[in-house]
Amino acid sequence: MTLAVDSLRAGLDELVGQRKLLLDIADLGAFSVDGKIPDGAVAPSTAEQVAAILHYAGEHHLAVIPCGNGTKLAMGNSPRRYNVALSLKEMNRVIHYEPADLTITVEAGMAFGAFQDLVGKNGLWLPLDPRGGREASIGGIIAANAAGPLRQGFGGPRDMVLGLKIASPDGKIAKTGGRVVKNVAGYDLGKLLTGSFGTLGVMVEASLKLFPKPQERATFSMWVGTLGLARELRRSILRSPVDAMRLVLLDSTAARLLDDSTQAPGRPELELWIELGGSNRVIERCTHDLRQLASAVDAKLVRRDGAEKAWEHVSNLPLWLRPKYPDLTVLKAALPLVASEEFLSHAQQEAESERIALACFAQVGVAIIHLCALQETLGANVAAWVIRLRQAAADLGGTLVIEHGPLDLKSNVDVWGAGGDDLEAMRKLKVVWDPLEVLSPGRFVGGI
Amino acid sequence: MKSNGLSRELAGIVGADGVLWRSEDLMLYEYDALSSMRRPDAVVFPRTTEHVVQIAKLALRHNLPLVARGAGTGLSGGSVATEGGILLGFSRMKQILEIDLENQRARVQPGVVNLDLSMAVADDGYYYAPDPSSQKACTLGGNVAENSGGPHTLAYGVTTNHVLGLEIVLPDGEVIHTGASHWDRPGYDLTGVFVGSEGTLGIVTEATVRLSRKPEAVKTLLAIYNQVVGATRTVAAITARGITPAALEMMDGFCLRAVEEATHAGYPMDCAAVLLIEVEGLKEAVEEHADEIEAVCQENLAREVRRAKSAEERDLLWKGRKTAFGALGRISPNYYVQDGVIPRTRLPEMLEFIGSLEKKYDLRIGNIFHAGDGNLHPLLMYDERDRAQTARVIKAAKEIILRCVEMGGSITGEHGVGLEKSDLMPLIFSDVDLDLMGRVKNLFNPQGRLNPGKLLPTGKMCGELRGGLLGGGAP
Repeated sequence: MTLAVDSLRAGLDELVGQRKLLLDIADLGAFSVDGKIPDGAVAPSTAEQVAAILHYAGEHHLAVIPCGNGTKLAMGNSPRRYNVALSLKEMNRVIHYEPADLTITVEAGMAFGAFQDLVGKNGLWLPLDPRGGREASIGGIIAANAAGPLRQGFGGPRDMVLGLKIASPDGKIAKTGGRVVKNVAGYDLGKLLTGSFGTLGVMVEASLKLFPKPQERATFSMWVGTLGLARELRRSILRSPVDAMRLVLLDSTAARLLDDSTQAPGRPELELWIELGGSNRVIERCTHDLRQLASAVDAKLVRRDGAEKAWEHVSNLPLWLRPKYPDLTVLKAALPLVASEEFLSHAQQEAESERIALACFAQVGVAIIHLCALQETLGANVAAWVIRLRQAAADLGGTLVIEHGPLDLKSNVDVWGAGGDDLEAMRKLKVVWDPLEVLSPGRFVGGI
Repeated sequence: MKSNGLSRELAGIVGADGVLWRSEDLMLYEYDALSSMRRPDAVVFPRTTEHVVQIAKLALRHNLPLVARGAGTGLSGGSVATEGGILLGFSRMKQILEIDLENQRARVQPGVVNLDLSMAVADDGYYYAPDPSSQKACTLGGNVAENSGGPHTLAYGVTTNHVLGLEIVLPDGEVIHTGASHWDRPGYDLTGVFVGSEGTLGIVTEATVRLSRKPEAVKTLLAIYNQVVGATRTVAAITARGITPAALEMMDGFCLRAVEEATHAGYPMDCAAVLLIEVEGLKEAVEEHADEIEAVCQENLAREVRRAKSAEERDLLWKGRKTAFGALGRISPNYYVQDGVIPRTRLPEMLEFIGSLEKKYDLRIGNIFHAGDGNLHPLLMYDERDRAQTARVIKAAKEIILRCVEMGGSITGEHGVGLEKSDLMPLIFSDVDLDLMGRVKNLFNPQGRLNPGKLLPTGKMCGELRGGLLGGGAP
């Protein structure tokens, strides 16, 4: 039996103190997940408090959903149960920072923007452009393994986490990894937690690898006539010595959403955007190479000054597009590199025949493709469309997840898709770590 | 169960020529590069995943330990059959199953030798990035088990950053596939846990790995110092400047002289330390970084900075580095190599500390290591017949590891925990941390038959180095 709401609040209150307990129903609304509003929300300020809350939740059969600043609460399946929102936003201190070592340890609730500002003073950065942007929390970024287009140049959170401190679902504090850049002591449990969407533990601290910021950056767009030519260009860039930080192919809708100032007739069907980083000399050299590669496919190379805002949008599709399209659906296909263009072509045809307005943002260098169905209201045909696209992705050797979508869609289609022959192992893992199903029950793959 | 009966059953699975059971044959499999321990009851060489499944089921029926072994180059005793049982050798599963350059991937069997994969794609301008010093012999299956590193992992990451998916046989014979050949497959990152699990969770029968594009330009620098501290300060300064070389290795004078006598690579015989530094990438970037690094070396009192003028000269310098451990074997009957990691800024302090231990314990300690990522390899020289000296080595080694831990570091950067360091795990992990790891182990390996006695503490000798295990071998 779950506790009555009043005694739950009293119990949490005792654990963390009145000041930290958010009781206001209006506040609770901010923590709603797929329309489910928790009975209480807490913002503890220490790891011990986080552990105590989880322990308490286990004792009282309560379900807890951890969050940082709530930028990714819309991801995942709808929770089976949801009693307590556990906000890490009070936990935003720096625990250890030695710029010369290129490592840092911070509390998990620290906002990404504040983090970048801090390390930026030393010319460093964490080369990620996660969903949620500056608002996203470090813990949330790791829990969602949230990587944007910068993955092209630098990999994702998985490659940057050195160690984690977590509160385990049974209310204990554990650590994994360390804060040095190389470490093979013990099982790499940090990998399990990275991308686990708050189902295995609550991150309270993270040690991360930092990188020197590039001296200069430059963005170019290349206007390409057809998907076939885009494919040629993608292949030749990936084979060239040019190291892109970001590489995103936009269809004409996506390109116009990003920049509607260029309405010139003859604007092409596709634009391949690339960001370069390095010294002026390096950028000059790469620009020279790119111009040659582009001209080989009759593409025009255009420098895009002030592209940072556009890149922000591309890594933050729901936040950017949802005000305009309330029933926006964002799908993410992950594919073998060769399959990007074929999948795009398929998706475009499907959208056309279903009369779904589509915008495509394809990170073609890593084959992560975001399809946005630009809808003010959800069409009845969208669920079937998603299922067909998922099959198309599977046929090409990839997967497709719903990154953002209206509840109607999410209640009809599993956001993650079917698991593989390792799903049973994942389920068992969840059971041995969280037998009481305290953390985020039902939100992850296969009902985990 | 007698080896004879067991070997007949194994022969029924893989054929009579795929099983070793005579004690003179088994002797060759009682050790790895750490030490010798005990003989397995039988060694079996599967050719297919199905063979491994059948062998796992056989081991289950007879309740026998099952230990996977690549080339036996491991430095932590990871592939030694401490409790006997069946040892799986992968020398017949060494096919590169698929090279997919368009997708920058390869699918390999576990017995493929690390360097063979790079050679197979070299003409197309690709390579497999992790490069353990034993890469001419060590296998990719072993690399996956140990999450191996190497000099060039400074810039490109270790094995885990290059493995995308695995086929795994669990101890009950079940086969699972983790990860994918693309990014972001939904679900827990089981691949990430199996990499580095030292053969204690499952047996890898296939791996999908990333292939990397070869850089356009490479420059190799040799910075020569009259004082060790100049070299260690340079390392910290290079990192602090925000330059990430592809490799940044240090050798002290003691090791250098041994290396030079063995390889004639052209290393100076009279210096206190050298840094071997490599920068890779775009021609323009490489030139800029090489100039900047040279300036940092000069600021930190390098006596001389040389640049390799040809590919041959570069290869010779690397040959010296990669065969260093062997060269040291020429001057000392035994040595013990450690693998601790510290924050890079603490290197000057640490090397001074190691120097002080030489005096305190009347030992020779060489240093040849991955300086750029703070991964130490102090080599403590000794003669195992001299028991008093051996005892001093154990004490000195323990002081080094404790200092690594105090500095916020780790007990192992790339060699693995294995047999050697399992009882040191409590130095850096609490009971709660170890309990979470234990739950993962019990889930996949509930009877503990898979590579018993490795990675997690056995509780027999908490926090002690196991004196009897000291050994020395390939890098």
